[in-house]
Amino acid sequence: MNASSWALTDDLSLPVVVFLAIAAFATVVMLLVEVRRRERYGALIVLTGVMGVFLLVAAVARPVRVATRGSVVGPRVVVLVDSSRRLLLPADGSEIGAAGRTRRQVALDTVESLRAHFSDARLGVYGFGEGQPLPLPSDGTETSAELVTESDLVAALSHLSQSAAERPRAVVVVSDGRLSRPFDGADDVSLRQAVGALGVPIHTVRLVEDAPRDASVRGVRAAGAAVAHQELALTIEIGCSAGLDCGVVPVTVRELRHGVEPGVLAAGVAKVEDGVGKVELRITLDRAGARVVEVAIDAPEGDTIAENDSRTLTFSVARERVRILHIAGRPTYDVRELRRWLKSDESIDLVAFFILRTETDNPRVRSDDELALIPFPVDELFEEHLPSFDAVLLQDIDAVQYKLDPHLPRVARYVEAGGGLIMVGGPTAFGGGRYGGTALGRVVPVAIPDDPPAADTLEFVPEYTEAGRATPVLKALLSLFDGALPKMAGSNTLGPPRPGALVLWEHPNRRTRDGSKMPVLALGEAGDGRTIALGVDGTHQLGFSEFASRAAGRGYGALWDGLVGWLMRDPRYEAARIEVVGECIAGSPTRLRLTRLPGAKGDVELELDRLGKTSAPIVKKLTPPESGPVEIDVGALEAGGYTARARVGASPPTRQDFACERGGEAWSDSRPDANRLVRIAAVTGGVSVDQDDVAALPSPEPTTVAAERHVSPVLPPWAWSAMAALALGAHWVARRRGGLV
Amino acid sequence: MTLPTGATAFGQVGAFHARVLGTGGRKWRDVRNTGPSRWAWELVRRTSAPARLVSDAVLADETKLLDEPFLVWPGAEAIAPLSPAELRGLELFIRLGGVIVVDDSAPAANTFTESVKRELARVLPESPVVALDSNHVIYKTYYILDQPVGRVSGPSHLEAIVRGGLAQVIFLQHDLLGALARTREGGWALEVTGGFRQREYAVRMAVNLAMYVLCSDYKDDQVHAPWLMRRRARRTR
Repeated sequence: MNASSWALTDDLSLPVVVFLAIAAFATVVMLLVEVRRRERYGALIVLTGVMGVFLLVAAVARPVRVATRGSVVGPRVVVLVDSSRRLLLPADGSEIGAAGRTRRQVALDTVESLRAHFSDARLGVYGFGEGQPLPLPSDGTETSAELVTESDLVAALSHLSQSAAERPRAVVVVSDGRLSRPFDGADDVSLRQAVGALGVPIHTVRLVEDAPRDASVRGVRAAGAAVAHQELALTIEIGCSAGLDCGVVPVTVRELRHGVEPGVLAAGVAKVEDGVGKVELRITLDRAGARVVEVAIDAPEGDTIAENDSRTLTFSVARERVRILHIAGRPTYDVRELRRWLKSDESIDLVAFFILRTETDNPRVRSDDELALIPFPVDELFEEHLPSFDAVLLQDIDAVQYKLDPHLPRVARYVEAGGGLIMVGGPTAFGGGRYGGTALGRVVPVAIPDDPPAADTLEFVPEYTEAGRATPVLKALLSLFDGALPKMAGSNTLGPPRPGALVLWEHPNRRTRDGSKMPVLALGEAGDGRTIALGVDGTHQLGFSEFASRAAGRGYGALWDGLVGWLMRDPRYEAARIEVVGECIAGSPTRLRLTRLPGAKGDVELELDRLGKTSAPIVKKLTPPESGPVEIDVGALEAGGYTARARVGASPPTRQDFACERGGEAWSDSRPDANRLVRIAAVTGGVSVDQDDVAALPSPEPTTVAAERHVSPVLPPWAWSAMAALALGAHWVARRRGGLV
Repeated sequence: MTLPTGATAFGQVGAFHARVLGTGGRKWRDVRNTGPSRWAWELVRRTSAPARLVSDAVLADETKLLDEPFLVWPGAEAIAPLSPAELRGLELFIRLGGVIVVDDSAPAANTFTESVKRELARVLPESPVVALDSNHVIYKTYYILDQPVGRVSGPSHLEAIVRGGLAQVIFLQHDLLGALARTREGGWALEVTGGFRQREYAVRMAVNLAMYVLCSDYKDDQVHAPWLMRRRARRTR
């Protein structure tokens, strides 16, 4: 293909050219005004003036001739295929896993049809979903793991328009129309702004026209952030499509917990009208951190997609203040120091009950009105208020004498449901407090012997174990005193640690029945909760004593910051952090990323367990590199809630709960939206067809590609200048003859 | 050695112990010597708190000053200026959170209290002595009391050095140990100006002070407020 054209010299900028044009035009106009009443030589004056102006402009602009030689190639056409996981839904309204084809399979077949139809075009096939569109493998081998939740067409078009690559002549969108963007309900102007950035026609291919008969949890919205112990309103939207008779749909919200049955947080019904129903349910999550909540409906008969009848969501529950119940059997300096520390921490909301008078004490009063004492509301506390506390501190209190024993099974269940428990030593703690053989035995980290001696008064200095030296829980205390501890005046008799528990301090001389050194301080987990056993009543010496003065009394705070922080899963006291890489999609490979705290050394043992169900845990052991995060492949998981526990070396385990969904958000609304695809095509000058009719899509004009371009001046600059001078000279002569100066 | 059944504490390290503070190298000797033991005895008899029945004396410049967080500092006459070691010891004791009850055995003369205030101003120059409100928690830590009481009636309010919300040095101008002291024969060592009833209230004051040391502001917790308000109202009627 050969072609030629004209242009001005390319060393003039556009403003200069515009200025020249305006100046020339103004000069000619003034000349015409000047000679309009002249009868003599008027025409000559105008003719020479116009010539002079033209040649002067040409001398400045120096016109050139451009000759090009090139070729014609097929137009560039971009095909955008919806890469949302939603396209794994059936295309024909059958059940998932039935013999029918999925929307994805229809889409890939459509791509082959487009390749055939646009055989003369240069076709680029991309998947779009979240952000930049990515090339689609030509063999259609994309796995569901590479699919995403969103269908963001606007983001994909925006990336295409900003790309340095050749602009396509047309775009073909292959989708079911249930796009994340452009939003449903946008008017034509908004729609054109959203998808018209490329300025080319957008053709659409509709994969599915008819909605399946489906009832689903379309959306779960929380009014604000989740805060422990505070009510959170959930607005749950239920959808019923294709005329499915839903009427009133029961909705249940449950929390999935480890080792125990799921707890029902709220239940209600949604009245479905015109295919949509909403219900607001109020839930209260008592534990902070990642909590897994299931929102489920009882779908009516005829529902074809059971997988979107529930959503399993991970709530990140914040904590405004740690609410602690501190119960002490009698006032001592150890109780005093613990209370002082608890009260000094602004982040702790403390409720305390100390037994100040026993039945044998004689306060020598005529009436109880002379005393500032109140009855210990043990039944009210444990029957009504226990779940409102983040942790319970039982300090040297006899379980039988103060009627705690009937409530101990409830306390054990409270721990298993995520509560924290610390037992602090003293003559009436552990076995001395008659806790041996009670339900607490299954949650505290050490066995509680129920036979004498319950304690001894041998002075000793506790010893750090290897785990005690490794854990971030005691790191601050360890560094304050360089590993030293004050002398204790005695110890409770504690049994061996429960499986999975960690001993941080041990007795240098006393042994358990199995011959191992007796634990003095131990940490453990039970169900969703954590527990601590401290078998001495002398840690107040870390806050007040000659020993404590070495660290200005900060030792006590260092110890209890660590203990309560670990109990409340404060990340500062965890040896590592666990997170899911990307999303957890049931049936697809899942990876967990483990980031260790500086100084956390040793092999990693990861244990993955189902929440709310009993099943064999997945256990992975590995020797990680010295530093940096570690990614652990845990394989394809079933849908549900999971808890991942990782232990780094001898440190206490770190835990993270997460949800794994089959379709998740992508499957929450199974209805196709063919109308949106029709409108997108209409506002951009494109054509919308169904997947059987891609042959009706128009082919864009071919693209011309320039191979050679030759630029040559029409005349040399001196020639334009000379002719301009001659013309202006003739104009001057004509003006003189005409009586103009 | 294992604990016998009914034992109350591991080596008594956490038990209330009214240690008597001495300065100038002299441990306190007085007819009131038995007062601290009686204080502990009354506490054990009337409350659940454990206490050491035999009390120790400690000097302000001894390292064992920091063994426990409570001292009673009795006296009748002005004390000599404290040595640098004594100042350091008392400063450390208070900064770690210890509590001192300054018990003036001769409040009419007031020389002892004034001299202690003078010396404590050198220890804690930033912490002035203030009068405690009549609603202070000391008056309701165990018994409901209206005012401080000792062997003598004294002022109707307490003075204290308050740090971080805690009254750490409490000035008592009522000769509390004088009301508690016993003779070897088992009688009261000193007469009380208000008779039996005043001695009983002095004991109650001592119990409340011990409970304040052990529980600090526990009785100011919101959970106790409605009960205490009802009881005060009934007592007023």
